[in-house]
Amino acid sequence: MENESNATDYYKKTAMFWSDMITMMSSKPTTLSAVGPLRNLSTNLKKITSELTESNKEIVEFNNFLIEYYKQLADTWTGAQKEVSSKISKVPQNEEGLEAYKRVWIDIFENNFTGLFDSKKFSENYNKLVSTELDLLKRWNAITDVMLKSANLPTKQEIEEIYEELHTLKSRISKLESSKKKA
Amino acid sequence: MPENKFDPKIIGEFLNFSRNFTEAPMKVSVPHEVKLGSTQFDVVYKEDKMRLLHFKPLTSKQVRTPLLISYAVVNRYHIFDIDPKKSWVKNLLEQGFDVYLIDWGTPSKIDKFLGFDEYVNRYLDNCVDFVCDETNVDKVSIQGYCTGGTLATVYSALHPERVKNLIATAPVIDGWKDTTVVSNIAKYFDADKLVDTVGNMPPEFIYYCFSILKPFEQGVEKYIKFLNNIDNEKYVDSFLKIEKWLDETPPIPGELFRQWIKGIYQDNLLIQNKMYVGNKHVSLKNLNMPVFTQVAVGDHLVSPECSMPLHYAVSSTDKILKLYPTGHVGMIASSFSQKTVLPELGQWLKERS
Repeated sequence: MENESNATDYYKKTAMFWSDMITMMSSKPTTLSAVGPLRNLSTNLKKITSELTESNKEIVEFNNFLIEYYKQLADTWTGAQKEVSSKISKVPQNEEGLEAYKRVWIDIFENNFTGLFDSKKFSENYNKLVSTELDLLKRWNAITDVMLKSANLPTKQEIEEIYEELHTLKSRISKLESSKKKA
Repeated sequence: MPENKFDPKIIGEFLNFSRNFTEAPMKVSVPHEVKLGSTQFDVVYKEDKMRLLHFKPLTSKQVRTPLLISYAVVNRYHIFDIDPKKSWVKNLLEQGFDVYLIDWGTPSKIDKFLGFDEYVNRYLDNCVDFVCDETNVDKVSIQGYCTGGTLATVYSALHPERVKNLIATAPVIDGWKDTTVVSNIAKYFDADKLVDTVGNMPPEFIYYCFSILKPFEQGVEKYIKFLNNIDNEKYVDSFLKIEKWLDETPPIPGELFRQWIKGIYQDNLLIQNKMYVGNKHVSLKNLNMPVFTQVAVGDHLVSPECSMPLHYAVSSTDKILKLYPTGHVGMIASSFSQKTVLPELGQWLKERS
């Protein structure tokens, strides 16, 4: 665990060091040769590198929760299959027997998996998995925002602000209309 | 070497299944081309994405008080009219009711900030205003299904003077008592993070919740049955309609989803009379109108324990709780609902309309 953290820190520091160096080295010539956007690119590179390196930790976490998620599914599958085998040791080879076997198989698998999905351990792990996925999405959003900004387009945050403003305006209009109607 | 003797019937079944599998595309319509809904309606009022549908009457004489149906925020309203023989709406029209239904529409990113306040105090309230104006009455009967039942309950508690009768069909009321896998996921869900990062609750997540409900019956067996019944026109038609309906779930506005998960499932505010919507206190004690609570015993989306507390929480003395031996969808779109649920509802409602 400690080694893993050291390795992450090492790569993070190395990436940050070089992106800073490149930014500083490129800032002089780009300042001379470019007006605006190209200068922006080098600054943005630092932000993007930072987001990507920061996301490493989350990718590792996501991977761990995903492994646990599939482990829970696989363990439940194995448990259910064992239960089926203990009830019916040999797959029947006539139509009626096969139909009954299918019914037992489905019932046992359904019960075992519902038991898993109803459990605290499943819900906790699943929600942590979703949560780290959302953390990664946040990083992606931050990178997208950097690109949008450099292209002189409104960022996600700015668009959200417009939506919120529209929402507030609509609510105010609705309240005004309602009070006008009542009056 | 032991000799394996397969029953020729099994081989026949297998060959039949393979044939059906190969011929299915030639025999069956493309699911997305299947038309849902059969009863005629007019869109009589629109606000943002929300539409108010008014179904054309099927009887010359109608019950005085109109019925407004508040559909759920998950999936679309078509389930109320998916098949003429199992249509909830058609049955009510044939019983002489004047039926209006709210289609909440498909929210987009701009609708992220819509919450309980907008759904209840704006959309639902404006629909009630419209229906009252159109039909020249002061009050309407409201029926809410599933999450729409919660919205109808909250509305009736905040505006009891506008509601003649409340029918809550499988409503989500007591989140802590819900024993479904949906509530198990909801208990630990970080709704703030999802809404702040993604905006609206994406339909893919709702599909995931559906897929863990009965993964083997719904995910495997159902499709095998479908292929085995490929020559049964009625079966195929009903199957494709339900599949299409299941596949058309819209996103849930972010703010509404946040309030739902935190307020209903995690903090359980509604049943404790601690909920506030648009700065107004929601007390179930305000429900003094006749209340009919419909619960399905086999409901695996909203467990009976989650819906039933409504019956005991209202102050109304004219109230009834009915438990039906069916499932969440079976209660509103099945032969059982036509034979049992709807006649009982119709009679109860006529006596109070």
